Amino acid sequence: MLVLSGSPFPIQDWSELDYDALNAEMRKLREAVAGVTDTMIAASDGIPIVADVAKNVDPAHISALAASSLGIARQSAEVIGMGTLSQTVVFSSEGYMAVYAIGRLSLLVVLGDKGLNLGRLLHESRPVIERVGAILAA
Amino acid sequence: MVGVDSPGSPGIETLLRRSGRIKENDWIAALVSSVKMRSLHAALVGRGVIGSAEIQRCAAGAIRDGTFAVVAGEVERCFLDENADSPLLPARNGIAVDLLLSETAVLMKGVAGLPVAVSPYRDRLVATDKKAATEGQWEIMALATGRRTARDLAFSLGRGLHPVTVEVSRMLGAGLLEVVAPATSSGFSRWGLSRLRPRKATAQDVGTTQPSSLPLRQPGQALSNSGIA
Repeated sequence: MLVLSGSPFPIQDWSELDYDALNAEMRKLREAVAGVTDTMIAASDGIPIVADVAKNVDPAHISALAASSLGIARQSAEVIGMGTLSQTVVFSSEGYMAVYAIGRLSLLVVLGDKGLNLGRLLHESRPVIERVGAILAA
Repeated sequence: MVGVDSPGSPGIETLLRRSGRIKENDWIAALVSSVKMRSLHAALVGRGVIGSAEIQRCAAGAIRDGTFAVVAGEVERCFLDENADSPLLPARNGIAVDLLLSETAVLMKGVAGLPVAVSPYRDRLVATDKKAATEGQWEIMALATGRRTARDLAFSLGRGLHPVTVEVSRMLGAGLLEVVAPATSSGFSRWGLSRLRPRKATAQDVGTTQPSSLPLRQPGQALSNSGIA
Protein backbone atom coordinates (compact mmCIF):
# COMPACT_ATOMS: atom_id res chain seq x y z
CA MET A 1 0.00 0.00 0.00
CA LEU A 2 1.29 3.43 -0.94
CA VAL A 3 0.84 6.27 1.47
CA LEU A 4 1.01 10.00 1.26
CA SER A 5 4.02 11.53 2.86
CA GLY A 6 3.47 11.77 6.58
CA SER A 7 -0.10 10.49 6.42
CA PRO A 8 -1.60 7.07 7.06
CA PHE A 9 -4.15 7.72 4.35
CA PRO A 10 -3.92 5.26 1.46
CA ILE A 11 -4.07 6.12 -2.19
CA GLN A 12 -7.46 4.91 -3.32
CA ASP A 13 -9.40 5.19 -6.52
CA TRP A 14 -12.86 6.20 -5.34
CA SER A 15 -14.31 5.58 -8.78
CA GLU A 16 -14.16 1.86 -8.03
CA LEU A 17 -16.34 2.19 -4.96
CA ASP A 18 -19.79 0.63 -4.96
CA TYR A 19 -21.68 3.89 -4.45
CA ASP A 20 -25.08 2.24 -4.85
CA ALA A 21 -24.32 -0.04 -1.92
CA LEU A 22 -23.16 2.93 0.19
CA ASN A 23 -26.30 4.88 -0.72
CA ALA A 24 -28.47 1.93 0.27
CA GLU A 25 -26.79 1.67 3.68
CA MET A 26 -27.24 5.39 4.35
CA ARG A 27 -30.88 5.34 3.26
CA LYS A 28 -31.63 2.33 5.47
CA LEU A 29 -30.08 4.04 8.49
CA ARG A 30 -32.11 7.21 7.95
CA GLU A 31 -35.32 5.22 7.59
CA ALA A 32 -34.62 2.91 10.54
CA VAL A 33 -33.84 5.57 13.16
CA ALA A 34 -36.32 8.34 13.88
CA GLY A 35 -34.70 11.76 13.91
CA VAL A 36 -31.81 11.07 11.53
CA THR A 37 -31.76 14.03 9.16
CA ASP A 38 -28.49 13.74 7.23
CA THR A 39 -25.75 11.17 6.73
CA MET A 40 -22.27 11.37 5.24
CA ILE A 41 -19.36 9.03 4.67
CA ALA A 42 -15.97 10.68 4.49
CA ALA A 43 -12.32 9.76 4.50
CA SER A 44 -10.53 10.27 7.77
CA ASP A 45 -8.77 13.32 6.30
CA GLY A 46 -12.17 15.04 5.96
CA ILE A 47 -12.75 14.56 2.24
CA PRO A 48 -16.41 13.58 1.64
CA ILE A 49 -16.98 10.31 -0.20
CA VAL A 50 -20.78 10.29 -0.39
CA ALA A 51 -23.45 12.37 1.31
CA ASP A 52 -27.22 12.29 1.77
CA VAL A 53 -27.88 15.75 3.15
CA ALA A 54 -30.31 18.65 2.99
CA LYS A 55 -29.45 21.56 0.72
CA ASN A 56 -28.46 23.79 3.64
CA VAL A 57 -25.84 21.30 4.85
CA ASP A 58 -22.40 21.55 3.25
CA PRO A 59 -20.88 18.05 3.29
CA ALA A 60 -17.36 19.39 2.74
CA HIS A 61 -17.52 21.53 5.87
CA ILE A 62 -19.25 18.93 8.01
CA SER A 63 -16.89 16.17 6.91
CA ALA A 64 -13.85 18.29 7.71
CA LEU A 65 -15.22 19.17 11.15
CA ALA A 66 -16.21 15.57 11.82
CA ALA A 67 -12.75 14.32 10.86
CA SER A 68 -11.16 16.89 13.15
CA SER A 69 -13.36 16.05 16.11
CA LEU A 70 -12.90 12.32 15.60
CA GLY A 71 -9.13 12.74 15.30
CA ILE A 72 -8.93 14.75 18.52
CA ALA A 73 -11.19 12.29 20.33
CA ARG A 74 -9.16 9.34 19.03
CA GLN A 75 -5.89 10.86 20.17
CA SER A 76 -7.44 11.72 23.53
CA ALA A 77 -8.68 8.17 24.03
CA GLU A 78 -5.26 6.76 23.14
CA VAL A 79 -3.28 9.23 25.25
CA ILE A 80 -5.54 8.72 28.27
CA GLY A 81 -5.48 4.98 27.74
CA MET A 82 -9.20 4.58 27.25
CA GLY A 83 -8.89 2.07 24.44
CA THR A 84 -10.10 2.31 20.88
CA LEU A 85 -12.43 5.15 20.01
CA SER A 86 -15.72 4.14 18.44
CA GLN A 87 -17.74 7.34 18.22
CA THR A 88 -18.14 10.94 19.28
CA VAL A 89 -21.47 12.66 19.81
CA VAL A 90 -22.05 16.41 19.85
CA PHE A 91 -25.06 17.26 22.02
CA SER A 92 -26.57 20.63 21.22
CA SER A 93 -29.81 22.38 22.06
CA GLU A 94 -31.35 21.65 18.65
CA GLY A 95 -29.91 18.24 17.82
CA TYR A 96 -26.94 15.92 17.55
CA MET A 97 -23.94 15.12 15.40
CA ALA A 98 -22.63 11.60 15.83
CA VAL A 99 -19.36 10.60 14.19
CA TYR A 100 -18.43 6.93 13.93
CA ALA A 101 -14.99 5.66 13.04
CA ILE A 102 -14.96 3.17 10.21
CA GLY A 103 -11.59 1.62 10.88
CA ARG A 104 -8.84 4.24 10.81
CA LEU A 105 -9.40 5.38 7.24
CA SER A 106 -12.95 6.65 7.05
CA LEU A 107 -15.87 7.83 9.11
CA LEU A 108 -19.64 8.04 9.16
CA VAL A 109 -21.38 11.28 10.14
CA VAL A 110 -25.00 11.23 11.29
CA LEU A 111 -26.91 14.42 11.99
CA GLY A 112 -30.12 14.24 13.95
CA ASP A 113 -32.84 16.48 15.33
CA LYS A 114 -33.75 16.90 18.99
CA GLY A 115 -35.89 13.78 18.92
CA LEU A 116 -33.12 11.52 17.65
CA ASN A 117 -33.17 8.16 19.42
CA LEU A 118 -29.46 7.94 20.27
CA GLY A 119 -29.70 4.47 21.76
CA ARG A 120 -31.42 3.18 18.65
CA LEU A 121 -28.84 4.93 16.46
CA LEU A 122 -25.98 3.24 18.30
CA HIS A 123 -27.71 -0.13 17.95
CA GLU A 124 -28.52 0.30 14.26
CA SER A 125 -25.22 1.92 13.27
CA ARG A 126 -22.96 -0.94 14.37
CA PRO A 127 -23.87 -3.35 11.55
CA VAL A 128 -24.01 -0.43 9.11
CA ILE A 129 -20.44 0.51 9.98
CA GLU A 130 -19.35 -3.08 9.48
CA ARG A 131 -20.96 -3.24 6.04
CA VAL A 132 -19.78 0.20 4.97
CA GLY A 133 -16.25 -0.70 6.07
CA ALA A 134 -16.41 -3.83 3.93
CA ILE A 135 -17.70 -1.84 0.93
CA LEU A 136 -14.93 0.75 1.28
CA ALA A 137 -12.29 -1.95 1.60
CA ALA A 138 -13.53 -3.96 -1.38
CA MET B 1 -49.30 8.90 33.47
CA VAL B 2 -46.98 11.83 34.22
CA GLY B 3 -44.80 11.89 31.11
CA VAL B 4 -44.15 10.28 27.72
CA ASP B 5 -40.78 10.41 26.00
CA SER B 6 -40.89 9.28 22.38
CA PRO B 7 -38.64 9.95 19.37
CA GLY B 8 -41.88 10.10 17.40
CA SER B 9 -43.25 13.30 18.91
CA PRO B 10 -41.77 16.51 20.32
CA GLY B 11 -41.50 16.44 24.08
CA ILE B 12 -42.46 19.36 26.27
CA GLU B 13 -38.94 20.86 26.03
CA THR B 14 -39.13 21.00 22.22
CA LEU B 15 -42.72 22.27 22.31
CA LEU B 16 -41.83 25.11 24.68
CA ARG B 17 -38.50 26.07 23.15
CA ARG B 18 -38.88 25.43 19.43
CA SER B 19 -42.18 27.29 19.38
CA GLY B 20 -40.42 30.30 20.93
CA ARG B 21 -42.51 30.13 24.12
CA ILE B 22 -39.33 29.93 26.21
CA LYS B 23 -36.06 31.43 25.03
CA GLU B 24 -32.87 29.39 25.16
CA ASN B 25 -31.10 31.54 27.75
CA ASP B 26 -34.14 31.38 30.07
CA TRP B 27 -34.29 27.61 29.65
CA ILE B 28 -30.59 27.15 30.45
CA ALA B 29 -30.79 29.49 33.46
CA ALA B 30 -33.81 27.58 34.76
CA LEU B 31 -31.98 24.28 34.31
CA VAL B 32 -29.11 25.63 36.43
CA SER B 33 -31.51 26.82 39.12
CA SER B 34 -33.42 23.54 39.04
CA VAL B 35 -30.42 21.61 40.33
CA LYS B 36 -30.69 23.32 43.70
CA MET B 37 -34.47 23.65 43.64
CA ARG B 38 -34.93 20.02 42.56
CA SER B 39 -37.69 21.14 40.20
CA LEU B 40 -37.49 22.62 36.71
CA HIS B 41 -41.16 23.52 37.00
CA ALA B 42 -40.47 25.66 40.09
CA ALA B 43 -37.36 27.17 38.48
CA LEU B 44 -39.26 28.27 35.36
CA VAL B 45 -42.18 29.66 37.33
CA GLY B 46 -39.82 31.31 39.82
CA ARG B 47 -38.03 33.16 37.02
CA GLY B 48 -41.35 34.38 35.69
CA VAL B 49 -40.72 32.72 32.34
CA ILE B 50 -44.00 30.85 32.22
CA GLY B 51 -46.99 30.22 34.46
CA SER B 52 -47.61 27.00 36.33
CA ALA B 53 -50.97 26.42 34.61
CA GLU B 54 -49.41 26.78 31.16
CA ILE B 55 -46.69 24.26 31.99
CA GLN B 56 -49.35 21.81 33.15
CA ARG B 57 -51.41 22.38 30.01
CA CYS B 58 -48.36 21.87 27.82
CA ALA B 59 -47.21 18.78 29.77
CA ALA B 60 -50.65 17.19 29.42
CA GLY B 61 -50.67 17.99 25.69
CA ALA B 62 -47.21 16.43 25.28
CA ILE B 63 -48.41 13.26 27.04
CA ARG B 64 -51.45 12.96 24.76
CA ASP B 65 -49.35 13.60 21.66
CA GLY B 66 -46.60 11.23 22.82
CA THR B 67 -49.12 8.45 23.41
CA PHE B 68 -50.52 9.03 19.94
CA ALA B 69 -46.96 8.79 18.57
CA VAL B 70 -46.34 5.50 20.36
CA VAL B 71 -49.63 3.97 19.21
CA ALA B 72 -49.18 5.25 15.63
CA GLY B 73 -45.69 3.73 15.49
CA GLU B 74 -44.34 0.28 16.22
CA VAL B 75 -43.64 -1.12 19.68
CA GLU B 76 -40.82 -3.66 19.45
CA ARG B 77 -40.53 -4.57 23.11
CA CYS B 78 -41.93 -3.62 26.47
CA PHE B 79 -40.20 -3.76 29.84
CA LEU B 80 -40.33 -2.18 33.28
CA ASP B 81 -37.39 0.10 34.08
CA GLU B 82 -37.31 1.01 37.75
CA ASN B 83 -34.27 3.24 37.23
CA ALA B 84 -35.79 5.43 34.52
CA ASP B 85 -35.24 9.14 34.99
CA SER B 86 -38.25 11.20 36.02
CA PRO B 87 -39.61 13.53 33.33
CA LEU B 88 -38.07 17.00 33.38
CA LEU B 89 -41.51 18.60 33.50
CA PRO B 90 -44.02 16.00 34.65
CA ALA B 91 -47.75 16.55 34.57
CA ARG B 92 -48.25 16.99 38.31
CA ASN B 93 -51.70 15.47 38.52
CA GLY B 94 -51.03 12.97 35.76
CA ILE B 95 -53.57 11.58 33.34
CA ALA B 96 -55.46 8.37 34.08
CA VAL B 97 -54.24 5.62 31.74
CA ASP B 98 -57.70 4.42 30.73
CA LEU B 99 -58.74 7.98 29.87
CA LEU B 100 -55.52 8.51 27.92
CA LEU B 101 -56.00 5.33 25.92
CA SER B 102 -59.60 6.13 25.08
CA GLU B 103 -58.58 9.62 23.93
CA THR B 104 -55.78 8.12 21.85
CA ALA B 105 -58.20 5.68 20.24
CA VAL B 106 -60.33 8.64 19.18
CA LEU B 107 -57.27 10.39 17.71
CA MET B 108 -56.25 7.23 15.83
CA LYS B 109 -59.76 6.81 14.47
CA GLY B 110 -59.71 10.42 13.33
CA VAL B 111 -56.37 10.01 11.55
CA ALA B 112 -57.53 6.77 9.91
CA GLY B 113 -60.56 8.64 8.59
CA LEU B 114 -58.66 11.58 7.14
CA PRO B 115 -59.62 12.35 3.54
CA VAL B 116 -56.02 11.81 2.43
CA ALA B 117 -54.13 9.06 4.24
CA VAL B 118 -50.70 10.03 5.53
CA SER B 119 -48.10 8.03 7.41
CA PRO B 120 -46.50 10.40 9.94
CA TYR B 121 -43.22 8.47 9.98
CA ARG B 122 -42.80 7.25 6.43
CA ASP B 123 -44.29 9.76 3.97
CA ARG B 124 -41.74 12.42 3.05
CA LEU B 125 -43.36 15.60 1.85
CA VAL B 126 -42.55 18.27 -0.68
CA ALA B 127 -44.32 21.58 -1.25
CA THR B 128 -45.96 22.28 -4.57
CA ASP B 129 -46.10 25.65 -6.36
CA LYS B 130 -49.55 26.45 -4.92
CA LYS B 131 -49.89 29.34 -2.49
CA ALA B 132 -50.45 28.61 1.19
CA ALA B 133 -53.73 29.87 2.67
CA THR B 134 -52.53 30.34 6.24
CA GLU B 135 -49.30 31.17 8.03
CA GLY B 136 -49.26 27.68 9.54
CA GLN B 137 -49.46 26.14 6.08
CA TRP B 138 -46.73 28.45 4.82
CA GLU B 139 -44.45 27.34 7.67
CA ILE B 140 -45.03 23.70 6.79
CA MET B 141 -44.45 24.32 3.08
CA ALA B 142 -41.19 26.15 3.80
CA LEU B 143 -39.90 23.06 5.62
CA ALA B 144 -41.35 20.46 3.22
CA THR B 145 -38.21 19.93 1.14
CA GLY B 146 -38.88 16.31 0.24
CA ARG B 147 -36.71 15.01 3.07
CA ARG B 148 -39.05 15.55 6.03
CA THR B 149 -41.94 13.45 7.28
CA ALA B 150 -44.84 14.80 9.35
CA ARG B 151 -42.86 13.71 12.41
CA ASP B 152 -39.80 15.70 11.25
CA LEU B 153 -42.00 18.73 10.54
CA ALA B 154 -43.49 18.52 14.03
CA PHE B 155 -40.01 18.64 15.60
CA SER B 156 -38.88 21.50 13.34
CA LEU B 157 -41.99 23.52 14.07
CA GLY B 158 -42.28 22.72 17.77
CA ARG B 159 -45.83 21.52 17.28
CA GLY B 160 -47.50 18.25 18.20
CA LEU B 161 -47.32 15.23 15.91
CA HIS B 162 -51.08 14.79 15.76
CA PRO B 163 -52.01 18.36 14.73
CA VAL B 164 -49.21 18.42 12.17
CA THR B 165 -50.30 15.06 10.72
CA VAL B 166 -53.89 16.30 10.39
CA GLU B 167 -52.74 19.56 8.78
CA VAL B 168 -50.47 17.68 6.36
CA SER B 169 -53.40 15.51 5.31
CA ARG B 170 -55.49 18.63 4.63
CA MET B 171 -52.64 20.18 2.66
CA LEU B 172 -52.19 17.00 0.61
CA GLY B 173 -55.88 17.18 -0.21
CA ALA B 174 -55.56 20.84 -1.18
CA GLY B 175 -52.62 20.10 -3.44
CA LEU B 176 -50.20 22.17 -1.33
CA LEU B 177 -48.02 19.15 -0.55
CA GLU B 178 -47.09 15.94 -2.32
CA VAL B 179 -45.65 12.70 -0.99
CA VAL B 180 -42.20 12.03 -2.42
CA ALA B 181 -41.43 8.60 -3.82
CA PRO B 182 -39.12 6.72 -1.41
CA ALA B 183 -36.48 6.26 -4.08
CA THR B 184 -36.16 10.02 -4.60
CA SER B 185 -36.43 11.19 -1.00
CA SER B 186 -32.66 10.99 -0.58
CA GLY B 187 -30.29 13.33 -2.38
CA PHE B 188 -27.01 11.49 -2.68
CA SER B 189 -23.98 13.33 -3.91
CA ARG B 190 -20.49 12.03 -4.46
CA TRP B 191 -17.05 13.46 -4.12
CA GLY B 192 -13.72 12.32 -5.37
CA LEU B 193 -14.79 11.54 -8.91
CA SER B 194 -14.97 14.91 -10.58
CA ARG B 195 -13.07 16.95 -8.05
CA LEU B 196 -10.43 14.55 -6.89
CA ARG B 197 -8.30 12.34 -9.03
CA PRO B 198 -6.61 9.29 -7.60
CA ARG B 199 -3.49 10.60 -6.02
CA LYS B 200 -0.28 9.96 -7.87
CA ALA B 201 2.68 8.52 -6.07
CA THR B 202 5.53 10.98 -5.89
CA ALA B 203 9.22 10.31 -5.63
CA GLN B 204 8.91 11.21 -1.97
CA ASP B 205 6.29 8.49 -1.45
CA VAL B 206 8.35 5.69 -2.91
CA GLY B 207 9.77 3.60 -0.16
CA THR B 208 7.71 5.35 2.48
CA THR B 209 6.28 2.97 5.01
CA GLN B 210 3.01 3.53 6.78
CA PRO B 211 3.62 5.13 10.15
CA SER B 212 2.10 3.35 13.11
CA SER B 213 0.61 6.59 14.39
CA LEU B 214 0.49 10.26 13.55
CA PRO B 215 3.92 11.69 12.70
CA LEU B 216 5.60 13.22 15.68
CA ARG B 217 8.06 16.06 15.39
CA GLN B 218 10.91 15.82 17.86
CA PRO B 219 12.27 18.92 19.58
CA GLY B 220 14.95 20.46 17.39
CA GLN B 221 13.80 18.57 14.32
CA ALA B 222 12.91 20.70 11.31
CA LEU B 223 9.29 20.49 10.21
CA SER B 224 10.36 19.51 6.69
CA ASN B 225 12.18 16.44 8.07
CA SER B 226 9.46 15.37 10.44
CA GLY B 227 7.20 13.65 7.96
CA ILE B 228 4.52 16.26 8.57
CA ALA B 229 3.38 17.52 5.21
